[in-house]
Amino acid sequence: MDNFLPSELLARLEEIGEADIVVGIPSYNNARTVSHVVRAVYAGLTKYFPEYKTIIVNSDGGSKDGTREAVLGTELDTDSLLIVSHPVHPVQRISTPYHGLPGKGSAFRTIFALARHAKAKACVVVDADLRSITPQWIELLAKPVLEREFDFIAPYYLRHKYDGTITNGIIYPMTRALFGKRVRQPIGGDFGFSGRLAARYLEKDVWETDVARFGVDIWMTVTAIAEGFQVGQSYLGAKLHDAKDPGADLTSMFRQVVGSVFGLMETYQNVWQGLKSSEPVPMFGFPFEVGVEPISVNVERMIQAFSQGVSDLREIYQGFLAPQTLEALGNCAQQPHGQFHLQDEVWVHLIYEFAAAWQQHTFDRDHLLQSLVPLYLGRTASFVIEMRESSAAEVEQRIERLCTVFESEKPYLLERWVAEVGKEMTHAKSI
Amino acid sequence: MQSLYDRAFLEPFHRLAEELSRVTPVVMIVLVVVLVGAILAWITRRVVHRLLVLIRFDRIVAHTGLARTLESTRIFRSPAEFGARVVAGLVWLLIALLALSAADTRMTQELVTRFINYLPDLVTAAVVLLLGTVVSKFLARSTLLAAVNAQWAGARALAGGVRILVMSLAVVVALEQLRIGRTALLVSFAILFAGVVMAGAIAFGFGARDLAREWLRTKLKPRAPEEEEEVFRHL
Repeated sequence: MDNFLPSELLARLEEIGEADIVVGIPSYNNARTVSHVVRAVYAGLTKYFPEYKTIIVNSDGGSKDGTREAVLGTELDTDSLLIVSHPVHPVQRISTPYHGLPGKGSAFRTIFALARHAKAKACVVVDADLRSITPQWIELLAKPVLEREFDFIAPYYLRHKYDGTITNGIIYPMTRALFGKRVRQPIGGDFGFSGRLAARYLEKDVWETDVARFGVDIWMTVTAIAEGFQVGQSYLGAKLHDAKDPGADLTSMFRQVVGSVFGLMETYQNVWQGLKSSEPVPMFGFPFEVGVEPISVNVERMIQAFSQGVSDLREIYQGFLAPQTLEALGNCAQQPHGQFHLQDEVWVHLIYEFAAAWQQHTFDRDHLLQSLVPLYLGRTASFVIEMRESSAAEVEQRIERLCTVFESEKPYLLERWVAEVGKEMTHAKSI
Repeated sequence: MQSLYDRAFLEPFHRLAEELSRVTPVVMIVLVVVLVGAILAWITRRVVHRLLVLIRFDRIVAHTGLARTLESTRIFRSPAEFGARVVAGLVWLLIALLALSAADTRMTQELVTRFINYLPDLVTAAVVLLLGTVVSKFLARSTLLAAVNAQWAGARALAGGVRILVMSLAVVVALEQLRIGRTALLVSFAILFAGVVMAGAIAFGFGARDLAREWLRTKLKPRAPEEEEEVFRHL
């Protein structure tokens, strides 16, 4: 079953035997930050889980900047850490290249398999480019799983108001409207989950799709929610990461994440079609105010991208967007840049129309998702302009308002979803 | 001695009657073949359409982008209808060949033989054209999306150019297969292709000197860290 694991890794696992907690760190060219992450994870395990057998595994995508060497060379000197209790078992550390499609999802798959092999009770995954990770993150992500029988713990961070615009503008509102759980950072990337959920993930045949890449985060979250696993979230404080996201090209990243959401809508349509509202999920940790780093955004360039998209891709949009949506986009593109604004209702309808078109294969799915990128940039620009003077709390309220529009307009999605199927049937009868 | 009446009227009338008696069965057979063929083609169209709907042919074709082309012609309502009509057309072709064979004259036989010999080339050319249409549309759209997402000003022109180029290539290959104006076509295509490349190069050189310089500069010179535009995370 775990035949994709390298033989040397399996041999090392045989040596180690079983473990209670597995912490996975997927990496690709993160030599600058990975040592810090490994140290924080190690400190977290030894401080909060001294009685447990633990493994730290680095699943690397073939880094060329010495990431693996940095992981293995990180000095885990407990003298420099304030740890009251002493670990009963030594923390095992593994760095292994993963197999399969290059991407974060494939790295996770290796971690899931390793967790299953080690019969782990809890797993935690954290990004290798984190600068704000603290030992407490490990406690907050693993403890609800180990002690409260939760299956999936998503992160809850404080982020800059312009940070995570795919999350704020599409993924969070959609996950919430569709699957009824208010998981604020569904693609946060740092999760805690139970061994049985890891085993469930491994049963799925998704490792040749976008889930093997950036789609893995949303896939994990939605699978856990839609399949009825116990879901919670933990307050982790600020999320600061390495400025440069290696290999992160917006179009492909966007395509993988949003495409995965649309794919999950298809997989779990029987689940979301019956849900009419959303509810909060249990929160762990103690919320506190933290400062976040300033972020510069080139709004002008985003508006230009939007206007060009609306003009040059009109023929594509005409194939599946409602005439009123198309008209609203056209009007929006005519606005002076200083007053640029894309209304929530237009944005929500647009996303739902794209989802329905994706379901119906109206176009090649890759092309469809690529054609959404300029519109997303327009929406982002609109959000940035609107929120320029707003505080973090006001921004959060604004996102909440967008979420309610996604929820209230869900019947429109259902209508499109069914209407598109109906259209095909009409064709069949018309001859 | 035959009378004028016999020679002027009776003999031609007999000859006509003889000819008619010889031709009438053939015409009747041809008419029956056409009639049966028409019914067969109609049934085939209905059956094929139902089958294509059942296997969700429209969805499969939607991947290729051909569906929009078909819809834009305003002749076919859906790819399934197009497929059904193509198959019905092939049945009609078969009927026509059968009818010609039934006529059993030297000319019709020769026509049928020549057509049958030409059929593989015709089918190959049709497939090449169909593939050319699909591939050119797909590549043009890929180019358009990539160019728009890279914010290139001439995205539509570039996509149009790609489409024309791929389609021209398909037409040349199809005509080559049909053995129509081989040399002239190849020469024309080579001239056209070279012309397009040269025009593009000149236009880029003269019309967009600054752009060319900037492009080369950014491609050849490694980017300094301070040039990175923004620290902005989408996920």
